[in-house]
Amino acid sequence: MSLASSAAPLPRPTGLFDLLRPGARAAFTILAVSAVLLLFLAPIIILVVTSLRPGWGVYYIYRGTEFTLANYFEVFQRGVVIKAFVNSFVLSTVATIISLGVTVTSGYMLSRFKGWLPKTWFTSIYVFRTVPYISWVLPLYVVNQSLGLYDTFTGILAAHVAVHVCFFSWIMKGFFDGIDPSMEYAAMIDGCTRWGAFRRVALPAAGPAIAALGILSWLWTWNEFLFALILTGNRTPLLTVTMAQFVTELGTEWNLMSAMAVMAMIPAIIITLFAQKYVIQGLRI
Amino acid sequence: MAEVVLRDVCKRYGNYNAVDNVNLTIRDKEFVVLVGPSGCGKSTTLRMIAGLEEISGGTIAIGDQIVNDLPPRERDIAMVFQNYALYQHMTVYDNLAFGLRNRKVPEDTIKAEIDRAVDILGLRDLLKRKPRELSGGQQQRVALGRCIVRHAKVFLFDEPLSNLDAKLRAHMRLELKRLHRRVETTAVYVTHDQVEAMTLGDRVVVMNNSRIEQVGTPWEIYAHPRTRFVASFIGSPAMNFLDGKVRRNGSGFYVQAPGGTFHVSDQGSSELAAHDGGEIIVGLRPEHISLSETRTENALHGRVELTEQLGAEQLVEVIAEGAKIMVSRVDAERELKPGTPVYLTVEPGQLRYFDRITEERLV
Repeated sequence: MSLASSAAPLPRPTGLFDLLRPGARAAFTILAVSAVLLLFLAPIIILVVTSLRPGWGVYYIYRGTEFTLANYFEVFQRGVVIKAFVNSFVLSTVATIISLGVTVTSGYMLSRFKGWLPKTWFTSIYVFRTVPYISWVLPLYVVNQSLGLYDTFTGILAAHVAVHVCFFSWIMKGFFDGIDPSMEYAAMIDGCTRWGAFRRVALPAAGPAIAALGILSWLWTWNEFLFALILTGNRTPLLTVTMAQFVTELGTEWNLMSAMAVMAMIPAIIITLFAQKYVIQGLRI
Repeated sequence: MAEVVLRDVCKRYGNYNAVDNVNLTIRDKEFVVLVGPSGCGKSTTLRMIAGLEEISGGTIAIGDQIVNDLPPRERDIAMVFQNYALYQHMTVYDNLAFGLRNRKVPEDTIKAEIDRAVDILGLRDLLKRKPRELSGGQQQRVALGRCIVRHAKVFLFDEPLSNLDAKLRAHMRLELKRLHRRVETTAVYVTHDQVEAMTLGDRVVVMNNSRIEQVGTPWEIYAHPRTRFVASFIGSPAMNFLDGKVRRNGSGFYVQAPGGTFHVSDQGSSELAAHDGGEIIVGLRPEHISLSETRTENALHGRVELTEQLGAEQLVEVIAEGAKIMVSRVDAERELKPGTPVYLTVEPGQLRYFDRITEERLV
């Protein structure tokens, strides 16, 4: 018994693009793709080339022929760089794990329950979301100072988790809105508690979305600069801030900074390539 | 196997009564259909029986137990949803096994139960598939299978066929009927489709405006509608309603309606006795009207407005003094041009009379 519809597929709506001749269409496509590549790929190419140039060669990368890996060795000889990598990695991972726990449940609550509690919660994260997040930083600095959390792992972690929760609970709510609640009702009739229906039916159904959100959270923290700059100091070096420290009073060490930036990009690229499928799938629910 | 008893059941949302004082006894092994237009409270009633909706007032009992405060999982019910509500991340087998595993049934018993269910429903080849790889009809059968394996006391159906196309719906309707005969479980079925209601139900409950309008066998509902609403809701094409005046004619009565008069049967006379000279509503079913082009006694005179050719029959819309009257079962080969004068007659016993104000049937 098949439900395959016998109706002919609807003709695609024609737009301006379809009116062009095939040759013009190809030219147009190539032009558009080149523009995008130039915009996104050129900086990365320049960055990689710069990272491979000796210090005196960074200002005319287009005509130098000397290339070296010395920048990478030099960067990694600085203890703070290794420490920053480890710190950023641990921070991103821990913040993601904690915040997923909160965003998933709070997104679910916002999507499924009514009443004063979800309403208040929704309003508060709405407010925090609309406030430019730069304006949180100074108060957070004061708070962290007074609690003795300034330049500690806990201090920066708490700030990141807070941002994740406010920014990503919304997205999670959207995912759950897209999942039919009758599946959970069926589970409750099939012997689950309300919590069981969430855990055993809604949660697995939201799996791709959760994976997507995890990746977004992880990358957000890995790339984050402002909190790291204001809320941490020498005791808790983080990647982005350490990278910026190559700008010194004696000038900017572009070659070293680029080498570090390339290294910092690698985990992000690996994760993105590996998880692209999930992100696309998850954001499509 | 159990009886379901609803006593004074209410559901309120603020000041709005979604379900208002519903009293209903569903007998053991009976198939009862709740039917009504959208928003009439039928789904809410079903969800209250399921425990998915809190009960604002009254009691619901399944078997000997009042279940008002029991969560759905303790009510021993099974439910099929409009969109099937299959667990998307599980295979068909796991979908069927889910409820039993939750109840700690041993795996080999589960396997035996699923074996039995897939034989009934013809799902054998689909066990390893995920729901999204199935067609609508197949998903529907998996949803039914999830009920069968459970041996629940009551089956609840919430518009299970409305997402299927017309042909498949007719097919599944028969399957459902056959299935119910086979598993003999008390079933409550919600639909807005009167054909489903008539064909599936041992008894039909017609709901409107949060209340029950009438409970009865499909035939009772069709032949003896208690209100104008029931009369108009059940039957297709819908019953015609004409404003009429009751007149005495010696010992009997006749009804003056647009375009002519109707004789009233003896039974009808007793119904109309109290309304001598009063204004009422006469109901006549399109399929009970015979249409003639030659002048006839005790007939309504009108003109053909439109015809609809269905192949097996024709539907003819007649205008009699401004009143529209639909006539069905007109010979498909008969040629009736718009404007043709026609005479409509009805067996007096087929007429139904309703109070103009309360819209209740006159008895």
